[in-house]
Amino acid sequence: MSPNPDSAARPMPRSDQGAILSAQPLTSIAVLLVAAGLIGFGGAVTYGATSRAWEAFLVNLLFWLGVAQGGVVLSAAFYLTQGRWAGRAHYRLAEAFSGFLILGFILFWALYFGRIWIFPWIRHPIPAKSGWLNVPFLFARDGIALFVMTVLSLSFIAASRSEPARKWAETTANIVMPPKTVRRLAPAVAICFVAVYTLLSFDLVMSLSPLWRSTLFGWWYFAGAFWSAVVTMTFTACCLSSVLGAGNAFTHSRVLHDMGKMIFAFSIFWVYTLFAQYIPIWYADIPVETFFVVVRTQYMPWAFLSWLTLTLVWVTPFLVLLGIRPKRTPFILGTVALLGMCGIWLENYVLVVPSLSPRTIPFGWVEILVTAGFAGAFWLCSYPGLKLASAAATEPIAELH
Amino acid sequence: MSPEVELVGAFTNEESLLGCVERLRQARARFRVYSPIPMPHVNAAIYQRPSFVRWWVLLGGITGAVSAFVLTIGTSLEWNLVAGGKPIASLPPYIIIAFEMMVLFGGISAVLGWILLSNLPTFEPLSGYRSRFTADEFGVVVRCAEDETPRLESMLREAGAQDISREAA
Repeated sequence: MSPNPDSAARPMPRSDQGAILSAQPLTSIAVLLVAAGLIGFGGAVTYGATSRAWEAFLVNLLFWLGVAQGGVVLSAAFYLTQGRWAGRAHYRLAEAFSGFLILGFILFWALYFGRIWIFPWIRHPIPAKSGWLNVPFLFARDGIALFVMTVLSLSFIAASRSEPARKWAETTANIVMPPKTVRRLAPAVAICFVAVYTLLSFDLVMSLSPLWRSTLFGWWYFAGAFWSAVVTMTFTACCLSSVLGAGNAFTHSRVLHDMGKMIFAFSIFWVYTLFAQYIPIWYADIPVETFFVVVRTQYMPWAFLSWLTLTLVWVTPFLVLLGIRPKRTPFILGTVALLGMCGIWLENYVLVVPSLSPRTIPFGWVEILVTAGFAGAFWLCSYPGLKLASAAATEPIAELH
Repeated sequence: MSPEVELVGAFTNEESLLGCVERLRQARARFRVYSPIPMPHVNAAIYQRPSFVRWWVLLGGITGAVSAFVLTIGTSLEWNLVAGGKPIASLPPYIIIAFEMMVLFGGISAVLGWILLSNLPTFEPLSGYRSRFTADEFGVVVRCAEDETPRLESMLREAGAQDISREAA
């Protein structure tokens, strides 16, 4: 048993002045960012940087959709483990980003208009793989998969936000199972996520280097998406802890400690699955497998970004969050979480772009504006969910038993 | 300085035990708690610092990882085995061995550290122990100077101790 200075036997203090998350000025800033993104994308397409525009579009779609979907799966994981360590707050916060799911599904279809710049097998078809890598089949299977995932996720969230689920999450003084609807949907969400994001990673990331394959790639990719939701949730919690009233759920050190433990543990899982792919490729040393890794890890200009990704996603969380105190300090935990978010964005960038631009790093106003546009859209979609999370955070947390 | 004695108080419920522990901690008394069941609340009230065992684990893990690299790189350089044109001392596969030895040494260090820091093995029961403290009652043993006995005895009684006995320390 680890010592716990804020003893779990004492009831958590109640916030008497629960602050409400204010829409401004972040919403106005988000609208400006969306406008900047649209202008940036349009300008890039107009002035001959079409491939960069679509590369940036794909990278950001993968990242932000991964965060949104990963958050839903995170909530499902909380139900599957019957975790009520922060009352309802951690459920609402994990689900807050799900507002982006519908927009993400729509933006996936926008990829159709940029397919020539994204999928090299369209201009250079591979006969042996044409049965799988062709436009109608790819968009049909990925579209249907994303549709099913989105509908299932929204159904799960509706069940999670229902009255019986809310009441279940508010107390820890029993061993009652979560409501039946949630018990049915949570494992379905998790299994569907595994299947759908494996498929998306194969089609939208791995197929950009159509001669390369890695069996564990899907697993590693969705583990990264899950972790991106963990760090985004933690970063948001650290921000909300100071924005909301005193005594809110995110000021409790044991809540931050739990989030820090999740960041620590799942970053190790991410690097474990990464290494599990790397070592067989290294041992066999077969050119058709090594070229993908060599471009990204051994030669400039991409090697620097790849190692930076490893540093941000694993090295930093592992070393910084090893102790108890850093996990309980909002500034340290929030910084590590923010760096982790940057790391997963960079991971998507390093996965996608070198396949299309192996010798140069295309990064400039196009990528910055498109990323800003997606960030603004993500905030606007997440704001309603964040309001719910803020309200849940101001309620007292039941003591642990 | 007056000789030291030990007061042994028995409690029948967790709430009164926890209250007693809080009072004794605030009074900076030296005490020990016996319990038949694990009680995280009481543990948290007693121990204000993390256990030192974690430093044993860290040291053991670092030792294990370093030892693994020394072993693998040293043996590779001593007995060269060229495989697939790769360097003689190739780090990627050695990471696996380093990880395993880190876990092994860390685990062994944890057990060793726990045993040593707990003053184990102990062949005689600690003072103040009663067999009912591993059955259906909680026990608190307070060590104090004889002239402090009345104050601490009343503290135990107010906290709800069922019976209080005095022993020589």
